Amino acid sequence: MTRFKKALMPAISVLLLFVVWQLAVLMFKLPTYILPGPVEIFGGIWDQSDKLGSNITVTLGNTLIGFVIGTAIGLGLAVVMVLSGWIYDFVMPVAVAISSVPTAAFVPLALIWFGMGDESKIAMAALAVSFAVLLNAVTGLQSSPRDQVNLLRSFGASRFKVLLKLQLPAAMPSIMTGMRVGLSRATITVIVTEMLGAYSGIGQVIYQATSVVDYVTVWAAVLVASAGSLVLYGLLAALDARLVWWR
Amino acid sequence: MTDKPLSPTARVLRSAPAVGAIVLLLWLILVPLLGISARTLPPLPDVLASGAKIWTDLLHSTVYTLTETFFGFLAGGLIGILSGILFWRSKRAEQMLLPIFVALQTVPIIAFGAIVVIWFGNGMASKVVIALYLTFFPVAVNTARGLDRTDPELIRLLRSFGASEMRIFRTVSLPTALSSIMTGLKLGIQLSLVGALVGEWFGDTTGLGTLLLQSLYFEDTERVWLLILLLGVIGQILFVLLSSIEKRFIWWK
Repeated sequence: MTRFKKALMPAISVLLLFVVWQLAVLMFKLPTYILPGPVEIFGGIWDQSDKLGSNITVTLGNTLIGFVIGTAIGLGLAVVMVLSGWIYDFVMPVAVAISSVPTAAFVPLALIWFGMGDESKIAMAALAVSFAVLLNAVTGLQSSPRDQVNLLRSFGASRFKVLLKLQLPAAMPSIMTGMRVGLSRATITVIVTEMLGAYSGIGQVIYQATSVVDYVTVWAAVLVASAGSLVLYGLLAALDARLVWWR
Repeated sequence: MTDKPLSPTARVLRSAPAVGAIVLLLWLILVPLLGISARTLPPLPDVLASGAKIWTDLLHSTVYTLTETFFGFLAGGLIGILSGILFWRSKRAEQMLLPIFVALQTVPIIAFGAIVVIWFGNGMASKVVIALYLTFFPVAVNTARGLDRTDPELIRLLRSFGASEMRIFRTVSLPTALSSIMTGLKLGIQLSLVGALVGEWFGDTTGLGTLLLQSLYFEDTERVWLLILLLGVIGQILFVLLSSIEKRFIWWK
C-alpha cells in the first residue's frame, strides 16, 4: 500500500462517518436535541466562529502554559530523584499516592484555591502533565544500562555529565510519551475545570449552551474542542519527530 | 540502572499501604508544624471527623459510584477486547475503524456529558456509558498490540499439525497477549472511575462525584480533601485488585 493510500484511508472513513451520520439524521428525522446533523453543526460553527474562536484560544492557551509548567516540574523532579537516592525513596511514594487519585477530584480544590480565572485551569493542566512526565521520565532515566553509566564514570565524567550526555538522550522517547499522554489529559482537564467554574473558555461555552438547551452550539463547541486538541497533539508529534530524530 | 536491586527498606516503602501511611503521617505532622491554613489543607483529624459525620452518605455514594465504574469497566473491557481481536484479524477493519476511534478519543466525552444524560437518562446508565467510552479504547489498542506479538513461526508450526484457528488463538495468541490486555484493563479501570465521577456532575443526586460538586459549592475544603483521600484509596484498591488477578492468570510471567 502506498503512502498516499495510507493517508487516504482515515480521511475516507471519517468522511464516511459524517455521511452516514447526516443520512441517519435525515432518515429518522432526529430532533436537534437528540442529534443534530453535521451540516447543522458546521453551520453553527460558521455562525459563531468569533465566539468559538476566542474561547478555544483561551482554552488552548491555558492548556499550553500548564503543559510547559507541568513538563518542567515533572522533568526537574525526575532528574533530582534519579540523582539522589533518598529523595527518590521519599518523593516516589508520595507521587504514586497522589497519582492514584483521579485528577477530576482535584478540580474543586483548584477552583477554591485559585479562583475562577485562568490560574485554576493552568494549575490543573500542570498537575495532569507533571505526573505523566515524572513517572515516564524516571523510568526512562533509569533505563540506561549500569555498565554504560559505570564506564563514563570511570573515565571521570561527573554524575551530572553522565545524566546530560547519556541518561537524558536515552530517556527522550519515554519522556516524549509522558508529554504526549500528559497533553491529551491536560486538554480534557482544562475543559472540565472550565465547565465547573470559569469566565471564558470552550468548556464554559459548552456549559452555558447546555443550560440554555442550545444543543447545536454544544456540538459545535465539542467539535471545535476536538479539532483544537488534535492540532496541539499534531504539534507535539512534529516536535517529537525533531527531538527524537534517531528513532 | 534497572538492575540496581532495591534495598529492603525501599521495597517496604514502595508497597501501597506503607505509601498511604507515610502520606497520612506527613499530613498529620506537617500541617500544624508549618501552620498551613485550613483553607489550603485542613488538619487530618478534622478531615476524618468530617467523614465520620456523614459516613452513611459516604458509604452509599461509594457503592453507587463503584457500581457505575464496575459496569462501565465490564462493558468497555469486553467491547475493547473484542474490537482488539477484530483489528488483529482484519487489517482492513483496523484501517477503517481505528482512525474513527482515535478521532473519537480526542473528543472530550466529558463535554458530551449533558448529551449522554439526554440520551440515556439521569440514572446509572449514562455514567456507565461514559465509563465504557473511556475504557474501551486503551483496552482495544493494547489487545491488538498484544496479539500482534504472537510468534508467526509458532502459528505455522501448530497449523502444520492441523490445529484449528480457534485452538491456535486459545493456546498461543491469547496467552501471548494477556499481559498487554491487562495493561489496557488497568488503564481502563482508572478511566472508568473518572468517567463515573465526572458523569455525576451532570445533574445526578447521589454518588461521590455529586458529593465532590456539592463540597465545591459550599467551599467545604474538609470534605474535598476527604473525597480526595477516599478516591485515592479506591483507585489504589482497584489497581491492586487487577494486579492480583493478573498474577493469578499470568502465573508464568
